[in-house]
Amino acid sequence: MEYVSPEGLRLDGRRPMEMRQIRAEIGAVSKADGSAVFEMGNTKVIAAVYGPRQVQNKSQQMNDQALVRCEYSMANFSTGDRMRKPKGDRRSTEISLVIRQTMEACILTHLMPHSQIDIFVQVLQADGGTRSACINAATLALADAGIPMRDLVTSCSAGYLNSTPLLDLNYVEDSAGGADVTLGILPKLDKVTLLQMDSKLPIDILENVMQLAIEGCKAVANYIREILLENTKQLEYRRGV
Amino acid sequence: MVGLSLGEQHFIQGGIAQDLRCDGRKRLAYRPISVETGVIPQANGSARVRMGATDVIASVKAELGKPSLLQPNKGKVSIYIDCSSTAEPAFEGRGGDELSAELSTALQRCLLGGKSGAGAGIDLSSLVVIDGKICWDLYIDGLVVSSDGNLLDALGAAIKAALSNTGIPRVHVAAGASSDEKPELDVSDEEFLQFDTSSVPVIITLTKVGKHYIVDATSEEESQMSSAVSISVNRQRSICGITKRGGAGLDPSIILDMISVAQHVSEQLINKLDSEIASAEAGDDES
Repeated sequence: MEYVSPEGLRLDGRRPMEMRQIRAEIGAVSKADGSAVFEMGNTKVIAAVYGPRQVQNKSQQMNDQALVRCEYSMANFSTGDRMRKPKGDRRSTEISLVIRQTMEACILTHLMPHSQIDIFVQVLQADGGTRSACINAATLALADAGIPMRDLVTSCSAGYLNSTPLLDLNYVEDSAGGADVTLGILPKLDKVTLLQMDSKLPIDILENVMQLAIEGCKAVANYIREILLENTKQLEYRRGV
Repeated sequence: MVGLSLGEQHFIQGGIAQDLRCDGRKRLAYRPISVETGVIPQANGSARVRMGATDVIASVKAELGKPSLLQPNKGKVSIYIDCSSTAEPAFEGRGGDELSAELSTALQRCLLGGKSGAGAGIDLSSLVVIDGKICWDLYIDGLVVSSDGNLLDALGAAIKAALSNTGIPRVHVAAGASSDEKPELDVSDEEFLQFDTSSVPVIITLTKVGKHYIVDATSEEESQMSSAVSISVNRQRSICGITKRGGAGLDPSIILDMISVAQHVSEQLINKLDSEIASAEAGDDES
């Protein structure tokens, strides 16, 4: 199948180096300490953060750092074919772990010993790149909750199909069988904190694809920063400062 | 879990007794309701309903299936509710399962009528494509995104809105196929059938706190309840289903009293919901 037309357009009309439209909103769950919605094209996720708070399970308490927990779940209606979900299947357990490790790497956990931070991400619509969208949503929610972080982690995926590196794969491109590189970076520190790839790629091409994903992550980071700034300005305005 | 001090508990109870609740509402007043339709493009119909800080999404997906042997002339509808852990950390893992099951059965009872399918808010016979062979199976999925009390009413409203947003593709059956063969179907992707949702009931939950009962309780108020009765009422003011929750017993005469109050409140709620749904649909068409 042809994923990039001779004119250089992808199935959904994007250029190879173009991202889907991203949209973010802070404060979707009013009861949570921090929450955010993040959309990448048709992929839409909600993240909620509870904490830092008392550790629920005392045996997990750590005396030198905070305990970070994460749960990823998909809504029954999130995929094209309705699924009767077995909550906590292997895939979601793995993604929960990935998100937890990525977020743990940027939270300043040593500042909050004896406490716990819960991150819950809920996929409302899945159209490829849920991992990235979840990490971006979690970052925003953590920032909204005012949890100290080294940097904003952002994530984006890139792939390689029809001998073209493609940014931000959607579901059709994701299931096409080409390589899929999911990358998470700390944009200010310029460090990669998450890297996953399936399928195989020649090493010189991987470099290009990774570079492309890094560019994508940076674009997301700029957007997230804008949203946060906007949110902070509104809070300031409401306070009447 | 809501942790309230003794003083706060007394304050809530006292407010309810004096017909002035913590957020300034009267006992029989709802929080502002906002409806958004078409939020899940992959579904046949969907809606998001917000009542104060309670936020739920309902989606309707239709699949072609086989009618059950007992009711060959009726389609099947099932309701599943899922409590997302974003709403409450306690719903993590399997923690929300109990509440999900409770809500699902209560909604099934209130919206789908008896086992025979009689009295359902949705006309089940309109879902049949070929008698005894093919029908539409409707899967209604609810998701609780944020919970601040009164989930059942919000879910009921969301399902009503999602159903009125639902379009079921028209199916053309190829003529001439013999009766025992599998008929050829042509599912149209342009023509859609809309549901008549005017008979879909709304659910009113009356929560009893102290001597009085209130509608649309927040989670703080729910923590003070002795019992709650959920009554589903349709536009004709007939009762479609009743569920009682909570431990304390209720005097039968109070239940009858509650039912008549629910009938009265339902009228306002149905009108409010209908106008919200209409404006949401209008906004949807424009965009």
